[in-house]
Amino acid sequence: MTNHADAQLSRRSFLKWSGAATAAVAVAGRSPVLYALTQDKTKKSVSKAEEKYSVCGMCFNACGLVARVENGVITKLDPNQKFLKSRGMLCARGNAGIQQVYDPDRLKYPLLRKGARGEGRWERISWDQALDYAAEKLTQIAEKYTPCGVMFTPGSDTQSTFVHTFAEAFGSYNLTTHESSCLLSRNRAYLDTFGEVPFADILNTKYIIIVGANPFEAIITPDSIDLMTAKKNGCKIVVLDPRYTKTAGLAHEWHPIRPGTDMAFFLALANVITSEKLYDKDYAEEKLYGVQQLTEHVNKYTPEWAEKECEIAAQDIRRIAREIAAAAPTAIVYPGRRTSDYVNSTQMRRSMAIVNALLSNWDTPGGLLAARQVGLSKPRLPDAPFYESNPENRLDKGMAKMMFEEEGSYKHMRDAIIAQEPYPVKGWFIYHYNPLQSAANRQKSIDMINHLDFIVNVDITMSDTAWMSDLVLPAPSVLERHDPASGLQGSSACACVVAREPVIPPLFEARPVIEILKGLAERMNLSEYFDFTVEEYRKQQLRLLPDADRAIREDGVYYNPSKLYGIYEGKIYKTLSKKIEIFNERYAQMGVDPMPVYKPPKSNPVNQFRLVIGRNAYFTHCTTQNNALLCELESENTLWMHPLSARKLGLEHGDLVEVSSSTGKGKLKVNLNNGIRKDTVYMASGYGVISKGLNRIYGKGVCIAELIEDHADEISGNMAMHETFINVSKSK
Amino acid sequence: MKRIVLLIVSLFLVLVFIGNIMASEKGNSRKGKYVFRKNCRACHMEGGKAKEMSPIDKTQAQWNAVFAKDKYKSFPCKAEWEKINPEDIKDIYAYMHDHAFDSPSPEKCK
Repeated sequence: MTNHADAQLSRRSFLKWSGAATAAVAVAGRSPVLYALTQDKTKKSVSKAEEKYSVCGMCFNACGLVARVENGVITKLDPNQKFLKSRGMLCARGNAGIQQVYDPDRLKYPLLRKGARGEGRWERISWDQALDYAAEKLTQIAEKYTPCGVMFTPGSDTQSTFVHTFAEAFGSYNLTTHESSCLLSRNRAYLDTFGEVPFADILNTKYIIIVGANPFEAIITPDSIDLMTAKKNGCKIVVLDPRYTKTAGLAHEWHPIRPGTDMAFFLALANVITSEKLYDKDYAEEKLYGVQQLTEHVNKYTPEWAEKECEIAAQDIRRIAREIAAAAPTAIVYPGRRTSDYVNSTQMRRSMAIVNALLSNWDTPGGLLAARQVGLSKPRLPDAPFYESNPENRLDKGMAKMMFEEEGSYKHMRDAIIAQEPYPVKGWFIYHYNPLQSAANRQKSIDMINHLDFIVNVDITMSDTAWMSDLVLPAPSVLERHDPASGLQGSSACACVVAREPVIPPLFEARPVIEILKGLAERMNLSEYFDFTVEEYRKQQLRLLPDADRAIREDGVYYNPSKLYGIYEGKIYKTLSKKIEIFNERYAQMGVDPMPVYKPPKSNPVNQFRLVIGRNAYFTHCTTQNNALLCELESENTLWMHPLSARKLGLEHGDLVEVSSSTGKGKLKVNLNNGIRKDTVYMASGYGVISKGLNRIYGKGVCIAELIEDHADEISGNMAMHETFINVSKSK
Repeated sequence: MKRIVLLIVSLFLVLVFIGNIMASEKGNSRKGKYVFRKNCRACHMEGGKAKEMSPIDKTQAQWNAVFAKDKYKSFPCKAEWEKINPEDIKDIYAYMHDHAFDSPSPEKCK
């Protein structure tokens, strides 16, 4: 605790200078400086263009790129042809990364809230003032409520690792990430089946079932590109989705499955594969644990039974089971990525993982791959202190059956903060994370904010969450950053290391989060934990990879020629039985169903529609909609609805409709098309913003977080975002 | 014969009970991480006197064996081990066990 005791600036002295400071700045105002930075087309002479390697930051994929810089201005982004993970390509979002850099809506200076939260009145302050104030507030909260009284939420970003380091040194283990709104249930299911989370060798597979995933639009590298190549090479693609996605459109088969019944389909697949003994017996004997129990368990889950649940014909289920078993082991049930859908999401993914186990595809070409060795070392940093005053556990401890200790659950954390049980949390440090858009039930997030004394937010733009914060600090884009090294898994393409160097210096007063944390640490007697430069940090990361530094400089990427297949030869699996667990021993010990037991989803209430969400190829959740180039592709979201459902409501294509759920409401245009089930509607994420700092999209569309009720997967605590039914009516 | 069976069953139950005590007497995993770093990592590190060590180096069952009563007496670091107070040992055990190779939350990396 003594570490927090010496912040220099008192509240009184802060008020003194802030009162004398300049008038509140208009966040939404356009800056002529940004326009000055863009290329002057009247000038004909251009100095020599430079080309610099970097790594895209428009989504989590981190694809290699080459930035062209002319007269100190980035004029074009091209794919790094040597970057195998993206197969030498860069998507629309990657190309539009340049607009993120020169976006007039970028945060430019530290801003302090002047009016009520969400009122949008801000005052420009200096970095010293900002850091002094943040250090003082965080210290006050730590002293009054223990260091665990501050929640930390780092987003998916290379520098988020430093937020983890700071939280540990500061003394709070109330840290949660975007992952609990995304893929934790998938991770839980595969970890509890295979002992680790796999990567799909799509390029080399011959048969793939894709469920609740849309890789042709929600791009994952190399999966999205490899799926196209695999199709050309004869791979059969079967898609189950209530919506006719682009992936469904390019598949050989699309089955509009009833939402929430995926487990019924996979248990029926397991029924056919076990009852007809279509699996490799020798493999099962050697590597699988619980085949006999599974055979008995799925006996009742026949294709005829499943047809009534998932509305896919029994003969199709039986045929698909036989086809995929015949293609094994070069066959995959795609694990997918975002699995924040249902309250039984982990068990649903377990049923898919179990079918994968029956295909004996683990660690083999065209199957599921273990993580390859990348070779990065963990830098040696000073050991974080232990704070005796802290409560024993995380705030959300025990709120789900098997939560990941280091990830927690935003949904459960939020509930606990509102309840102020088991102890109060009063501060929030946010980096590159926007739950007011991406997490279910926005109103509840606002309710949580109302229980907090201080919120500091580091981001590139004024996100909805930043808009509701107290102190907003401008971060640079990835093209302005010197980053630590990142290890990337690229399936059969590669295991590689990348590291960013600034393509241009940071614009305005933007500071990378590492510098912000150093500044806070200095003011809070925690400097010893940040006594390193990014260069030194990276050097330690690369200490066992002597060729990496040169390769990154010369090619923009280092490849570790590590083993790809057969990694588990002679090794045990990381499970209690030391085998691939079809029957999960730990679940049995904990009173959790050791094999997935089907429970039907809730039926649609009369005149209501199940809401499903997703995204397309040019948007990343809620971060790219305000991008000048990308917003031209889809300037607002619409509500997908089947024409027959619309007819009953008297709706025509393009009508403005009012949508509502128990959590909120909004108005958007209806998009009538046959590519969606009659009982289901769909909206893209990222619209209906409350932040007036996002000029291009403010006032457009409806926010998914406004409508989606907050449910969570019972096992992992992952948010369950397809459990909401909404009312739709013509707007008057 | 019945008595022998009863005795064996009783003995088994006692052993299970002892095992459960062992599990329930686990300390504070978070504190264990700190105590481990403070007491053990000076040697158990890359380039140190002893092998670098992380919870994921062993399964939960293997950590149970390492921390079984008096087992440490056969370790090269017996003298150092004896200097650590028993509560801290429990905390270290909790850290190692809860983040083991086959645990629900394996330590992410070394």
